[in-house]
Amino acid sequence: MSVLPARRRAALLVALVAAWVAGSALGAIQPARRASAAPLFQLEPAHAEYVPVLDGTKPIYILIIGSDARPDQAVESQRADSIHILSINPAEHRAAIVGIPRDSYVEIPGVGQNKINTALFYGGPDLVVQTVEQLTDLKMDYWAMTGFASFEQMVDDVDGLVVDVPFAMNDEASRAFFDPGVQRLDGDNALAFARNRHDLPAGDFGRSENQGRLMVAALAQLKKEFNKDPARMLIWAASFVRNGTTTLALDEVLDLAFTGTAVNANKVENVVFPGGTAMVGGLSVVTLNQETLQKISKDLADDGLLRKANVPPSPNEPLLGG
Amino acid sequence: MTPNRVQRGSSKKRRVPLALLIVPVVLVAIGVAILLALRGGEGGAIIGGGDEPPPPFDFIVKPATAVPTAPDADEAALSANAERVAQEITPIIDDLYTNAYLDPSNWRHDDYEEVFTAFAPDAAATAEQSLETLTLGATAGDVFDTVDPGKSKLSYQVLLDPDGEPDTAVVSVIFRATAERKNGTYLAIVSEGEFFLGQIDGQEEGWKITAFDVKREDHETHPPSPSASTSASPSA
Repeated sequence: MSVLPARRRAALLVALVAAWVAGSALGAIQPARRASAAPLFQLEPAHAEYVPVLDGTKPIYILIIGSDARPDQAVESQRADSIHILSINPAEHRAAIVGIPRDSYVEIPGVGQNKINTALFYGGPDLVVQTVEQLTDLKMDYWAMTGFASFEQMVDDVDGLVVDVPFAMNDEASRAFFDPGVQRLDGDNALAFARNRHDLPAGDFGRSENQGRLMVAALAQLKKEFNKDPARMLIWAASFVRNGTTTLALDEVLDLAFTGTAVNANKVENVVFPGGTAMVGGLSVVTLNQETLQKISKDLADDGLLRKANVPPSPNEPLLGG
Repeated sequence: MTPNRVQRGSSKKRRVPLALLIVPVVLVAIGVAILLALRGGEGGAIIGGGDEPPPPFDFIVKPATAVPTAPDADEAALSANAERVAQEITPIIDDLYTNAYLDPSNWRHDDYEEVFTAFAPDAAATAEQSLETLTLGATAGDVFDTVDPGKSKLSYQVLLDPDGEPDTAVVSVIFRATAERKNGTYLAIVSEGEFFLGQIDGQEEGWKITAFDVKREDHETHPPSPSASTSASPSA
């Protein structure tokens, strides 16, 4: 390896530094040509979403009570025309609805044997909750209640409910006059649909199933509207709080509403505790099938869901065409 | 007599003139000074912190809508509360979009950390995974020269609790900007969606985004007319 003389090495160093400086300065004076090969960065339509759904493994049980209070009556001190357990499995984003016929003859704590709908009259929604808990061994996390007028208003606030009416109805008493098929029911008609029992083969059993059908329709509609316009969630939540009475705090209502948007309404099991009718002390009552009641209750206690094997036949089956 | 290593070294040192060591240093200093003088204002940060500030930007805000939960609410009072919430939240959304799309010191360096401070912890985790949708993008600095904000709008719906106090706000956003690529073409940036905001327990910073649903629908566009917007780049 040859060794350059020191002067020549120093001169070379100076030349290299000078070249670097000149090159840099030139580069600054003449900006780099536009990068014609730069990526175009054309984004495809993209979507980002975060919905704070509940995801716990513990099922949530909500007792939904429909009071038969008329507009001038207090909803808490009348009878419960409809009683449903809404069971939610947050982790699986699934739910089940179990109707309890209003005339079910059960033990009411502190009252004795009576129709379950009288529990509301004797002790308000808390006594209804106690009665249902005793009946099913399921611990209710919350209850929510509406009356006739508030139910109608709730439906009207969300511009009606789109319901697939399963069969023709023609009942003067409830003013339920419907052709079968998908239709939007306003508050008045939704209430009529919920109250009709006279032209149903199983009377109150079938009515209870139809009330559950309205809840499933509401769930499907909430999801659809939320997907189209998330701000609709506020309208639904506000209407629920404004027209209902509930132990749910506003934030819990929103949490459940968000969770509801993740639930596939088509997969919600909507059942009614089966039973028969009997006369007790001159009263026409419903005697629940204890074996099925136990089976359904135990199934719900597990994960909040109802297995197909434990789903009883629809009380409206004769009208459903199979 | 052959000089030993020490003697050779000392004799060589003496032969290098001091000027030959100083000249390169001076030349380097001059070169750096020329570079700084010529490129300093153009956004090419040579020695840290040389990015230009973000362009001034404010959303156009529509009147807020109150969503009451009390049956007999005083509508005037509720509307006033809803407007107050809109005034509190608007700077948060202004900052969110400025940090996500307009501030060159963010998009040139793929540094969007400030964006996610607007989100509640649970929502922030998902937002960070959606960086390409919620910001100009990780590689924006390689692609774009400038980003100019366009006409952008906010509208509010505010859910008030039974006492009339604000609980949750939904902000509907339409954000538009025009980005000039380094190859001289232009991209219209469009971000549209909804943000849910709540006041998170234990956090004193105020309103945070708790849920969101945002779409990006960018498309090719033409250079903006000179009066159409405010440039993000003083040299553009």
